[in-house]
Amino acid sequence: MTTLVEVKSVSRHYRMPREHLLRAPEVLTAVNSASFTLNRGETLGIVGESGSGKSTLARMVMAFEAPDSGEIRFDGTDIHALGASDLRRMRQRFQMIFQDPFGSLDPRRKIGWSIAEPLRVTHAETPAHKTAEALEQVGLRAADADKYPHEFSGGQRQRIAIARAIVTRPDLIVADEAVSALDVSVQAQILNLLMDLQDELGLAMLFISHDLAVVASICDQLLVMQHGKTLEYGAATQILNAPAHDYTKSLLTAAGA
Amino acid sequence: MFDLTNLSVHFGPATALREASLTIRPGDRLGIVGESGSGKSMLALCLMGMAPEAATLSGTLTIDGRDMAEATERDWQALRARRVAMIFQEPMAALNPLSRVGDTVMDPLRLHLGLSKQAARARALDLFAEVGIPDPAARLRQFPHELSGGQRQRVLIALALACDPDLLIADEPTTALDANVALRITDLLVRLSAERNMALLFISHDLAAVARATSDIAVMYGGDIVERGPTRAVLDSPAHPYTRGLLGARPSATSLPRDANGKRARLPTIPGTVPGMAELPKGCRFAGRCPVELPHCASERPALTKPGPDRSAICHVLSQEVSA
Amino acid sequence: MKRLPVNLLIGAALVMLVIGAAALSLIWTPHDYTDMNIRGKFGPPSETHWLGTDQLGRDVVSQLMAAARNSMAVALAAVLIGGSIGTALGLLASAIGGWVEDLVMRIADIGFAFPALLFAIMLAAVFGPSLTNAILAISFINIPVFARVARASANQIWTREYVTAAQAAGLTRAAISRDHILPNIAAPIIVQATIEFAVAILAEAALSYLGLGAQPPAPSWGRMLSEAQTLMYLAPQLAIYPGLCIVTAVLGFGLLGDGLRDVTDPRLVRER
Repeated sequence: MTTLVEVKSVSRHYRMPREHLLRAPEVLTAVNSASFTLNRGETLGIVGESGSGKSTLARMVMAFEAPDSGEIRFDGTDIHALGASDLRRMRQRFQMIFQDPFGSLDPRRKIGWSIAEPLRVTHAETPAHKTAEALEQVGLRAADADKYPHEFSGGQRQRIAIARAIVTRPDLIVADEAVSALDVSVQAQILNLLMDLQDELGLAMLFISHDLAVVASICDQLLVMQHGKTLEYGAATQILNAPAHDYTKSLLTAAGA
Repeated sequence: MFDLTNLSVHFGPATALREASLTIRPGDRLGIVGESGSGKSMLALCLMGMAPEAATLSGTLTIDGRDMAEATERDWQALRARRVAMIFQEPMAALNPLSRVGDTVMDPLRLHLGLSKQAARARALDLFAEVGIPDPAARLRQFPHELSGGQRQRVLIALALACDPDLLIADEPTTALDANVALRITDLLVRLSAERNMALLFISHDLAAVARATSDIAVMYGGDIVERGPTRAVLDSPAHPYTRGLLGARPSATSLPRDANGKRARLPTIPGTVPGMAELPKGCRFAGRCPVELPHCASERPALTKPGPDRSAICHVLSQEVSA
Repeated sequence: MKRLPVNLLIGAALVMLVIGAAALSLIWTPHDYTDMNIRGKFGPPSETHWLGTDQLGRDVVSQLMAAARNSMAVALAAVLIGGSIGTALGLLASAIGGWVEDLVMRIADIGFAFPALLFAIMLAAVFGPSLTNAILAISFINIPVFARVARASANQIWTREYVTAAQAAGLTRAAISRDHILPNIAAPIIVQATIEFAVAILAEAALSYLGLGAQPPAPSWGRMLSEAQTLMYLAPQLAIYPGLCIVTAVLGFGLLGDGLRDVTDPRLVRER
């Protein structure tokens, strides 16, 4: 088992708007010294509520924002030390799936165009067979490439978003609340699809959600966050069977366990 | 009190709701479970007299023995002002951002109950205390954006309670809230229903929340109420294949299930997708996706069967079992 | 089917009238608008001259039609030039952000504070009055308007998830601006362009009225108006016709722009 992502004591602070002229503005610690490692092909779930820092952590792993301290290594490379063009090339290897299946596709573009978007960064010509292959892998038809996003249901759009994420054959997928907006029966279909694709393509996944039941169904490892702090980190089975923290217990109650 | 008999809602050839029958008595806590397009929100709108203009309605709705088919918009307004209240999924969107939450709650008290400013304020303070808002006097002066999501939902509940409704319709009231907060809001609704002998119609796709909030449950699919019964009984032993599929598809928060090869087990799923309103099968709406389908399911409308005490379901397979 | 707003329908009808007249003048006018006939000056409306003739005996209808063509051409050129530069600046400011955005927007503010007519008069004083200079002056006053609209709309699009998805895919900010931002801000830009078209027509008429725009013999509503002014007591209709044309064109494009905004911006519709 080789390490793919290594996050070492990463912190991120936000300066709040200044409320008093003479007082220093408040500083909000979004992520406080978070650490984890993610092996190739494995799945780490990050659970927490809004404001827990889980999305900020995901954004730092995706190199959308830089940590104030600590380091994030992807396949041994510190991604926040890379130059802009090196980082753009590196992005082929880690892709993201978003929460809102209605917002993550440009409404004015055919879905084939959107799916091929990551390929265009490195290819001058986009090979149509790759788009078709990605569409079929997520359970849609190659002919769907010529349709617009509004012609699809929420679950189908999430499949399209997944097709875009896997079209470059990445090593890592970051899924930020990727099934939270979906109906229960659609949710199960998408979770199964993600598991199938992982097994088929050897993808590692960082799965972020507020719903412990969803995370429990797909993750090997679990990291529970609250107010930017890591409360628990370890094997999913162990944390779910013997939660060490009251907060984790309350999440279990809410998930209907 | 509220009695729906064979209520159907059509949009041209498309059916949003088919022959729905429901009775709501004071103090009932009824959950409506269903996915997008199941018709659960349409049902709530009909109870409020707020069905879209383009819809054609048939069937009867009686409220306190009065047939609402003859009701004018003015009658409905009076009903909505005093008898039925509704809370929504997104509390921020339902509050006026420019108005102090105290004024938002006091306005209907003064308008509908004719209270003086002082009396309305005193009543608002009581309501805030009742829904568990700490330091109510200070909160009255705050604006929606100064409150947390849970506090906002409590303000909306206080607003809904302002005119002592007999029925509170909660449409996905916990969906936008964090898990802990959602639990407390659910428990609050249960307490208020019991203390006030107020009926609660809890609409949600979240089975865990419905299980906690309600005593009875109606499961909807494709505009049909496919199964009804006591919440515990239905969730413990679902009768309708759709209910079984829905409960199976919901992951449980226990340890990661593994299959025989040590790989992660896949979740049970309902095959296919919900058809559009106009493409639903004529017979059982679940035909085409059902794992135990019979040849006549898609064409013939199944009759009501009783799979258990106080329970009902519409399913050909079930009626065969019962008659056999 | 949603009913189209009344201002959109009226605006579209007026605009079609003006553009139709301008387009027709390219291939046909009742008479050559330069043909003079001193004996037939100040002629009343007749079968040959529908709106009569002017102080030099030229056909008024033909002049109005040819002037419409010039007016449209000036406005089109000015809105295209000013709109392109302004939109490009707004996109740039939005894509880069930080001090670049601040700088561009502060310069736009200065441009806003500058009276357009004053600037045109200044240009004419330096380079001499001409149609080209009028176009440049009107273009210039359009730049800050479009820069602002483009930046505000673009900033909204930059927050969309599909833009984040494009960033995650590794696209540069320039590529995202081209592929996602520009197509999605087209609607507000087109609305603004329609409204600015009305402003440009008015500005062209004003400049020509002051003698800083179209030079004789090129026909222009503004110059027809200023020439007719001295003859107000003798032949008031010569001032009224071009005045009506200006009002029709400005009102038409203004209403059309407002109507388009109502149709494309759901927020405004809900408030009505």
